[in-house]
Amino acid sequence: MIFYLFTILILLLLAPLLLSFIKALKMYLLFKKPVSVFQGYRNFSKLMQKETVISEESSRITRVAPFLVLSPLLVTMFFLPPVVHGAFYVSFVDAFTLTGLISLSTFFLMLLGLDSASAFGGMGSSREAFIAALVEPAMVLTVFSVSMMAGDLGVGQAGVNLAMHFPKAHMASFLFAGISFFILLIAENGRIPVDNPETHLELTMVHEAMILDLTGVYLAIIETAASVKFVIFASLFASLFMPFGLQYAAPAAMLLFVLKLFIIAAAVALIEVNTAKLRLFKVPNLLGIAIVFAFLSLITFYVLGA
Amino acid sequence: MFQFDTLSLVFVALIVLGAVPNLFYSSGYLPHIERKAHYQLHYFTFILSMLGVVVSANALAFLLFWELMSLTSWQLILTEAKEKKTIDAAKFYFIMTHFGFVFLLLFFLIVTDGDLETGFASMHGIAAKFTYPTLLFFFMLLGFLSKAGAVPLHVWLPYAHPEAPSPVSALMSGVMLKVAIYGMFRFLFDVLYPWPLEWGIVILVIGSLSSLIGVLYALSEHDIKALLANHSIENIGIILIGFGMGMIFDSMHLKVLSSFAFIAALFHTFNHMSFKSLLFMGAGSVLHQTHTKNIEKYGGLIKAMPVTALTFLIASVSISALPPSNGFLSEWMIFQSMLGSSHLDDTSLKLAIPFAIFALAMTGGLAIACFVKAYGITFLGLHRSTNAKHAHEVNFLMRTGMLLMTAVVLSLMLFTPFYIGWFDEVLKGLGHLSVYAKIFPDTVWNMHSVAVHGGVVSPLVLLGALLGVTALLMFAYKALKVKERIHHTWGCGYRTSAKTQYTATGFAGPIRRFFNWLYKPEEHLCKETLAGHESKFSSSHYEVHVKPLFEASLYDSVGKAANVLSYWVYRLSHFEQTRYAAMIFNLVLTVLFSYRIFAHEFSWATFVLEGVVMIISIKVLIIGDKK
Repeated sequence: MIFYLFTILILLLLAPLLLSFIKALKMYLLFKKPVSVFQGYRNFSKLMQKETVISEESSRITRVAPFLVLSPLLVTMFFLPPVVHGAFYVSFVDAFTLTGLISLSTFFLMLLGLDSASAFGGMGSSREAFIAALVEPAMVLTVFSVSMMAGDLGVGQAGVNLAMHFPKAHMASFLFAGISFFILLIAENGRIPVDNPETHLELTMVHEAMILDLTGVYLAIIETAASVKFVIFASLFASLFMPFGLQYAAPAAMLLFVLKLFIIAAAVALIEVNTAKLRLFKVPNLLGIAIVFAFLSLITFYVLGA
Repeated sequence: MFQFDTLSLVFVALIVLGAVPNLFYSSGYLPHIERKAHYQLHYFTFILSMLGVVVSANALAFLLFWELMSLTSWQLILTEAKEKKTIDAAKFYFIMTHFGFVFLLLFFLIVTDGDLETGFASMHGIAAKFTYPTLLFFFMLLGFLSKAGAVPLHVWLPYAHPEAPSPVSALMSGVMLKVAIYGMFRFLFDVLYPWPLEWGIVILVIGSLSSLIGVLYALSEHDIKALLANHSIENIGIILIGFGMGMIFDSMHLKVLSSFAFIAALFHTFNHMSFKSLLFMGAGSVLHQTHTKNIEKYGGLIKAMPVTALTFLIASVSISALPPSNGFLSEWMIFQSMLGSSHLDDTSLKLAIPFAIFALAMTGGLAIACFVKAYGITFLGLHRSTNAKHAHEVNFLMRTGMLLMTAVVLSLMLFTPFYIGWFDEVLKGLGHLSVYAKIFPDTVWNMHSVAVHGGVVSPLVLLGALLGVTALLMFAYKALKVKERIHHTWGCGYRTSAKTQYTATGFAGPIRRFFNWLYKPEEHLCKETLAGHESKFSSSHYEVHVKPLFEASLYDSVGKAANVLSYWVYRLSHFEQTRYAAMIFNLVLTVLFSYRIFAHEFSWATFVLEGVVMIISIKVLIIGDKK
């Protein structure tokens, strides 16, 4: 139980750090002077002290939605697979519930975008709705495929099963599912090539457009939600697709897990440096690849058993 | 004449749950209806006839109540028949519903051996003796699915439902479509059991197509009630997916999974009844206040109509299948039963079912997009018309109706085990395995999938966790005592007004563009340019209209084909009496031949011989020599 709570705490604390790490790495690779990796915490504390400006045009939704964006993600944190052998994990929550909770958070984020009567908000919501609708099938199919390899649909149990009995016989379909999930990680978290988190140019932005009218604590909440979402996806990827190291002693396993998170963050940063942002109407091609890989994974599993 | 087994009683419960809140809403709505007596008479007969359908025990009573239900709902659509659109919609509904009725009648004539007073119980024996059970299956399918609104018989829904008064739309969409689902349960289980594998696949394919097509056309719709009607097509599709999976599992002898899938379908039937009625009531309240069905004329209604907005939000979350709502739970069960497809022996089937999973998941994603649009454009932002500006909350009775329906939605979420217990009893009554003990093995908190390695969900724990965390966060925010300032939305230096907002057309824009090959929209853009500059204009007007593919292709082309054929016959006959006589002779020949094939025996040799005889007689007697 103590490891369970400790892991959640660590992940929450790491969340802003990981995003700042990606940013710093990117700047370093582009020969800029990198920001501190603690920039995320600084932004958070700055926003917490600011006064909140609430739009006159907005309704009660603006006052409620930020909390409803964050809370499903916080609840999701409690359902992640264990990182230490023998640690407590919630066994009764399956991958559908997790994707559902993430969609719930996105749903309220999109409503938030439409609430302030600004064209940007609507633009962001509309694009997010488009991307989210295409992410959903790929996500469900990937989950289906992984659940068969892991022998359980429950996320926690699947993580443990994969670490204990790695499906060597199904390496091909495992790999395909991994590729699909990584694309989803990028798409769901609004990273390049799907969305550029750093831009403030209306032609390209998705996530930033929806939250343009927020400041202060509300913005801090939404930014936290974004970083928590990244950490959720990263740790799911680490537990399900890099399933090793669970058997080590607690501190070593924990360190290894954090290292895995940083490796994933570095991979995201490298992709961001090396690719250009896709036009919105090219994004379905990328997500189509994810869907195709998910199907391939299922087909190889069924037909070849590989 | 009547029977009250568990299936009937569960559907009686469905109708009562759907109708009681509707009664309140309807009486609140009544002052706006001019022909009150006409409306009341048909409204109550409609509810009673639906009850009659689900409790009748012989074919005659069933058909009588079924027809009464169709006719009263047809008259209810005509309650406010002021526009030609309404009359056309009613006519379309009338034709479609009787198209289905003909097939139902054929079905019953065959399975009762001509004596319509035969009870359902003795139909099974007669149907088993019939040579072509698949024909019976298709008759039944056409009969019920034309009422339920599944592809390709769904075209009437987006016309008929918006034209009816709102309480009636809620009843038609929420309850009447479910009566057709009752028919499928009743006659597939009682009369046509056991099913070949192909039947289940047919239903699964129809379900997947309906769900995708329904949600795609809902997205392109601007009439809020037509949007909801399109969502009914989607949800009937989802129910049929569950139903089809149940049939497939049953014919593959996976009885536990089969019961699970049927329970999922029944659960979704109840859920759709609850949230779709609520959504139609909400839409009706909005329409009542703004006097328009065009979603582009709404906006900002959450401020004026808080109760409507709250109930509509709950229903939106539920229909988008977001946890922990009841819509999520039933869709979760359907997903779980589809994941059970990995137990099938048939590899090709195993490979095919992921496509249905894909369709269902895509539907879920698009439904979220659609309800963000419906909710966001209607209730959020600034009012887009003066009517929306002057809207206020609806009267007490209508509010009560909506709140009662919200209670039904919430009860389906909170007391899931209780409802599942009912559905389990239904399946037991229909001679299937009971799986309640497998879904809730130890406690009622966790819902288990019956598939090996299946998932678990615990709705109440999720609900509690979400509410708890949200409350904690809000409490923390209050405790921080943040200074708040109210200011206008930043509009790049321009004044923020209703016109700077995104429209519903714009919101659905990316999706419409991506599915352009399906929508084939008619776009109209006219702008008055300034001094010949392409990009500078003083006013512009953009309109996009999507005509459903099925209507444009299937229905219109059938109409065209009928025209061409009748013109050809007309030209052939040349008003010559001998030709007329020859035609009648050929017609009689066709009837005789097909009667022999249907009622007696089928052999390819005689079939070919008869075909040759027909062709020769048509050629010689009717077409004759080319002049």
